[in-house]
Amino acid sequence: MRNILRKEMKLSASPLTYLFILFGLMFFLPGYPILCGAFFVTLGIFQGFQYAREANDIVFSSLLPISKKDVVTGKFLFVCFIEACSLILMLFSALIRMTFLSQSAVYRANALMNANLFAVGGAFLLFGLFNIIFLGGFFKTAYQIGRPFITHIIVSFLVIGVLETLHHVPGLESVNAFAFDFFGLQLILLLAGSAAFLIMTALSYKTACRNFERIDL
Amino acid sequence: MNIIEVRHLEKEYPSFHLQDVSFSIKPGRITGFIGRNGAGKTTTIKSILNLVHPDRGDILFFGIPFTSREAEIKKRIGYSTGTVSWYPRKKIRDIIGIVSRFYETWDNESYRNYLRLFKLDENKTPLELSEGMKVKLNLLIALSHRAEILILDEPTSGLDPFSRDELLGIFNELKEQGVAVFFSTHITSDLEKCADDIVYISNGHIISALPKKTFTEQFSQNGESLEDTILRMERSMNNA
Repeated sequence: MRNILRKEMKLSASPLTYLFILFGLMFFLPGYPILCGAFFVTLGIFQGFQYAREANDIVFSSLLPISKKDVVTGKFLFVCFIEACSLILMLFSALIRMTFLSQSAVYRANALMNANLFAVGGAFLLFGLFNIIFLGGFFKTAYQIGRPFITHIIVSFLVIGVLETLHHVPGLESVNAFAFDFFGLQLILLLAGSAAFLIMTALSYKTACRNFERIDL
Repeated sequence: MNIIEVRHLEKEYPSFHLQDVSFSIKPGRITGFIGRNGAGKTTTIKSILNLVHPDRGDILFFGIPFTSREAEIKKRIGYSTGTVSWYPRKKIRDIIGIVSRFYETWDNESYRNYLRLFKLDENKTPLELSEGMKVKLNLLIALSHRAEILILDEPTSGLDPFSRDELLGIFNELKEQGVAVFFSTHITSDLEKCADDIVYISNGHIISALPKKTFTEQFSQNGESLEDTILRMERSMNNA
């Protein structure tokens, strides 16, 4: 499994995929829809898939001495690795804003979402949706990336819109907590986001393995 | 034991039907897979390698069904196509560095030897290679992991006569070392130069799968070359 992940990282990935991990630091931007950072990370992954398609990556991987299921596993491992790297940056940014910058006026006077544990949970949810819509969609054909990515764009921006403005709904103000206010709720929202990510990724992986086994390359 | 055994392979597309394809590849022999463009050569090869899923039929490598032990069998075979290059902008050194880790049988000494023999520069990218050199790069990978059979899809297509001759010479050298070669081609002179066995496909049907000598005895008319024989057979099938 290490070999296929190494192949994904060194041969299949585009340099942009790695560079776009830094969009996780958008959690520091004041007055900006920070969850767009998660979308930009997926845009970097999409660039990598374009790059890999031009390099005949899927057929090359299928000819390596591994099963076809391992080809799917390699792609999922790599995508999850990129997502995990950006999630670490997002969590780091959120923790800085929750501690050292918790009283910063520029962050307090923000009509959009605050960078807290709920926001990180939101990023988990967006990555889970990417894995089920884009990755799962890609493995239906192993070449078509445009359609699943457009679907991902539409769904992502709808979800980002909802999450960024949710705290304006009466009774839901606590989702936009500052510092360690409503910490129990924040933690539950983070765990719910990560659980959604795990469930969607696992479902997508299972379906992708089945679909990839059936398609002709 | 046959290295590859293809039995009653069928694959139906809306405009093409591969029907009842059966043949076998023997160790230490060069088998030419001849047929005109669109006859079903690439579909057959892709089916053999599980890249295309046949509707019916069995494929055995070394007596083992391919799909049952895919990873293990793939370690013993090498594949190359003359028309596709992998990772065109990566250095050969980097591609090899990754690929070699997948094979316990990877032999660095053989790799260095073939690198010299094929005059390949590790610091070049596939994009910088000619068509002939791309085929050699694929051969280099296959030979460095000590593949027992090379499956080559149109390796001579797009090569100049000198490069083609050189490549066919390499096939003969590999045969001497006990490596089986199965290559598809639409160029009959390739068969005349190096094939021991001929598998002839036309319009999705196997017309014959015989040793070259038997093939010419059975099908060639007086004074006819192999090319003339295949052209005549192809014409008569088209007219039928």
